[in-house]
Amino acid sequence: MTKGTVTQVSGSVVDIRFDAGRLPKINEAIAVTVDGKRRIMEVAQHIGNDRVRCIMLSESEGLARGMEAMAYGDGIQVPVGTCTLGRMFNVLGEAIDGGEPLEKDVPRWPIHRKAPSFAQQQPAVEILETGIKVIDLLEPYPKGGKIGLFGGAGVGKTVLIQELIHNVAMEHGGYSIFTGVGERSREGNDLWKEMKESGVFEKTALVFGQMNESPGVRMRVALSGLTMAEYFRDRENKDVLLFIDNIFRFVQAGSEVSTLLGRMPSAVGYQPTLAEEMGKLQERITSTKNGSVTSVQAVYVPADDLTDPAPATTFSHLDATTVLSRKIAEQGLYPAVDPLGSTSRILEADIVGEDHYRIARQVQTILQKYRELQDIIAILGMEELSDEDKRTVNRARKLQRFLSQPTHVAEKFTGIPGVYVPLRETLRGFQAIIDGSMDYYPEAAFYNAGTIDDVKEKAKKIEEARRL
Amino acid sequence: MPEQKKAHQAVIFASEPPNQEQKAGFMAFLHREYGPDVTLEWYKENVPRGFRLVVDGEDFYDWSLSGRLRQMKDSLKELRGSGPDVIPLVREAVRSWTPKALVEELGTVSSVGDGIATVTGLDHVVYGEILIFTNGVRGMVQDLRENETGCILFDEDGDVCQGSTVRRTGKTAGVPVGEDMLGRVVNALGAPIDGRGDIAAHDTRPIENPAPGIMDRQSVSRPMATGILAIDAMFPIGRGQRELIIGDRQTGKTAIALDTILNQKGGDVICIYVSIGQKASAVAQLAQNLRERGAMDYTIIVHASASDSAPLQYIAPYAGCAIGEYFMEQGRDVLIVYDDLSKHAIAYRTLSLLLGRSPGREAYPGDVFYLHSRLLERSAQLSDERGGGSMTALPIVETQAGDVSAYIPTNIISITDGQIFLESSLFFAGQRPAVNVGLSVSRVGGDAQTKAMKSAAGAIRLELAQYREMEVFTQFASDLDDTTKDQLVFGQGLMRLLRQNQSHPLRQCEQVILLCAALDRALVTVPPEEMSGFAQELLAYFHEHHAALCSRLEQTGVLTAEDREEIVQAAREQTAQAGAERRW
Repeated sequence: MTKGTVTQVSGSVVDIRFDAGRLPKINEAIAVTVDGKRRIMEVAQHIGNDRVRCIMLSESEGLARGMEAMAYGDGIQVPVGTCTLGRMFNVLGEAIDGGEPLEKDVPRWPIHRKAPSFAQQQPAVEILETGIKVIDLLEPYPKGGKIGLFGGAGVGKTVLIQELIHNVAMEHGGYSIFTGVGERSREGNDLWKEMKESGVFEKTALVFGQMNESPGVRMRVALSGLTMAEYFRDRENKDVLLFIDNIFRFVQAGSEVSTLLGRMPSAVGYQPTLAEEMGKLQERITSTKNGSVTSVQAVYVPADDLTDPAPATTFSHLDATTVLSRKIAEQGLYPAVDPLGSTSRILEADIVGEDHYRIARQVQTILQKYRELQDIIAILGMEELSDEDKRTVNRARKLQRFLSQPTHVAEKFTGIPGVYVPLRETLRGFQAIIDGSMDYYPEAAFYNAGTIDDVKEKAKKIEEARRL
Repeated sequence: MPEQKKAHQAVIFASEPPNQEQKAGFMAFLHREYGPDVTLEWYKENVPRGFRLVVDGEDFYDWSLSGRLRQMKDSLKELRGSGPDVIPLVREAVRSWTPKALVEELGTVSSVGDGIATVTGLDHVVYGEILIFTNGVRGMVQDLRENETGCILFDEDGDVCQGSTVRRTGKTAGVPVGEDMLGRVVNALGAPIDGRGDIAAHDTRPIENPAPGIMDRQSVSRPMATGILAIDAMFPIGRGQRELIIGDRQTGKTAIALDTILNQKGGDVICIYVSIGQKASAVAQLAQNLRERGAMDYTIIVHASASDSAPLQYIAPYAGCAIGEYFMEQGRDVLIVYDDLSKHAIAYRTLSLLLGRSPGREAYPGDVFYLHSRLLERSAQLSDERGGGSMTALPIVETQAGDVSAYIPTNIISITDGQIFLESSLFFAGQRPAVNVGLSVSRVGGDAQTKAMKSAAGAIRLELAQYREMEVFTQFASDLDDTTKDQLVFGQGLMRLLRQNQSHPLRQCEQVILLCAALDRALVTVPPEEMSGFAQELLAYFHEHHAALCSRLEQTGVLTAEDREEIVQAAREQTAQAGAERRW
């Protein structure tokens, strides 16, 4: 243990002087005591003259120059293994659920680790059914793959990630880790309660560093959650589900401290190390020969700008991307997935099968055609279109509506019970619309329906209501 | 040659000149500390119950009430961790305690300008501490550098110049809180500015406070009624929720907040209106408006006007929030309006750029998200263990040309639990409140609606969103099928029904009746232009002939199948009658 002295405080960044030759290493943890409370920071740089520059993992109020700081000789370590299941932690691995403190001798791993080597990699080739039509059809998720949910503010990322927890984690049977990075504390509380009620609680660990916490916390909490998942993958050879909401906040927190660390700003004011920071984190989230990690990451898109450096850098790390669009949300179509902007690496005939591939591509073709025709319709109206185009437009509008579906999570807002649509049913439904056998059903019947049988049912009801 | 020994100069700052006895006491103390060569002077300064003593402009002794209390606290702190026998120790410490004069630090301004001062000295100053400059100007420490301290000033920097003396206060920024604040207009530091005399504060609270943790909260479950049909039906707000009001200038954003405050009259909610960077005259008018309608009794206005310095505008919402937290922690319900956070972001941008922090998107600093997230996260529904109080926040953000996807608006949308988007095209088309149904949302309010409201409102939001889309799609079409035509007429009627004048709140039972009738398509035959008038008549009719139903709805908050039947039946009769009259 070495002692140092605080020499400078600037927002979340603190400089500490140590005796020459006894400087703590980078990523080591340092503690200061303010008003009887221990506060932790992490070494980010050595800046010369026996000083280290650190990032606070709590607020800086109350710090003063001349305060004594202690370096413990190792980095932040979080508890791992089955003791984490059914518990909720903060970035330091302290239980924050108000329950019993963890036992002293539980295994702990440092949160800074190396990514698995090239030889360890295990590519994903199997489809993971989610019960959400638009996802299963157009951007099927790979088992053991990395999935990103992109969306601007308030288009439904968190609702979709919670629906996936509902549909996948409950079916999955394995361990799940949920990491809340810089999101709302209220959501953390709601999720905790839902988990308790749902019964998957004993197989889930939750880690939170929410938006009210200092940038240092939001920068590191993703690593804390990830470390817990890695332990299950590497030591217990399990298949783990890892949910991260929201990975953008990790980048954002990095940019908040970047200039305070003395780095020059890069494009749009982000840190110059953005791509490297993201790469270091993302390469650790991968499936290896030991076990698999299927990760679902929400990615916030600032100012609805997908070309913003943060989401743009994230894209290349993912196997499947679901892009949520404000335009679609505005029409009341939920989940507001952009069917032409979302992609999956496994949407290939070899992996998903010939039929699935053909149906998915045809759906995309029709929607693309409609998009092109939309300008013409806006100027000239529907009447000017050829019969062929009219048919395309009608089918496209039905497809758009059929891509929406009621979710379990939104049930409490809409009062409409959620549905789980098996992949088989999804394919059957879209096939029916494409081949024209649904042309005479009213458009409204396709909206917020589950299977194609639900559509027929709904159409009947609409017809009856009209007769009255 | 031996060094010439200079006489020490001591200055006493106190409200009254010291009498002979006190003077003798001072001299005895000074002789003891500094030797025989001391002169003593008195300056008038308002120091509550005590004095401050400065020797040679360097050594500072704080013998004011607060200073002595602080020393007392410090001496008790040393007892911490002394084991289980701490009580006799405390008793002993209190008995044997006598106030000591403590040496305090003084600093010197080395540079000042644009509301930012750099101070040397003050080696032990704490991050976030309040400093006092000459002439009582106050500032807050924002940067602790190796040899100097960066500090933002809350008043005009004209009185602060290079070489001015700076004093520590030992306190981080705080505001007075308490019941006496109700009905008052205060500035960002909690000082009254309405000319109604001093405020007897109950306590002071630091303006920066950590938000309640995950386990300190519980789900939002109780309604915060706004009295506005469009909002209560489609985007209900619950106690402890953060709902953003967003839109271009002059689209009725403040009006919604104001209506919500007025609608709390006779209830148990305490309202706080924080104005940031607004015209003082507009806020004065708002205060007068609230006072005239009797809403000021439960309202506090925190005002940082456009002419106040950027640091004051920057701390105003945190101060307002601290005042609200005081009530929340007593288990009470608070409604806080931040009007508006775009100006707050601009004030913070000014500060950051002046402090030399590098600009990011739209020249805002990197931590502009944290600026608002740590503020809005402090609004919560506390768990029962924490007293069950709540603070509902209605932040307001101004957009430019209806662009919700700009940087600050999307930042705040991603913090709040929903947004109400007001559109100027709707506003000028007469659709007021000008709520854009497609882009507005309330993420948690559904749980907070009463059963009656929830079952009456049903899927009205999705119906309207679909109607709006259909309206655009069919605007050039001539041969519409009957289903589509019906949907259009129905949607149009609903939109008309949602029009509501300012300060005409609807009670819950009234809202339920209108929604039930409309969504059961009982009102489709009413021509759109007569909808508002008809709705008024319908409600009057219900109050007269179905008073039992109204009071039952209001009290139980439950809508039974029979109630619904009764409403629809009566509404159909009324529409038929009105239709018949029209034909004549």
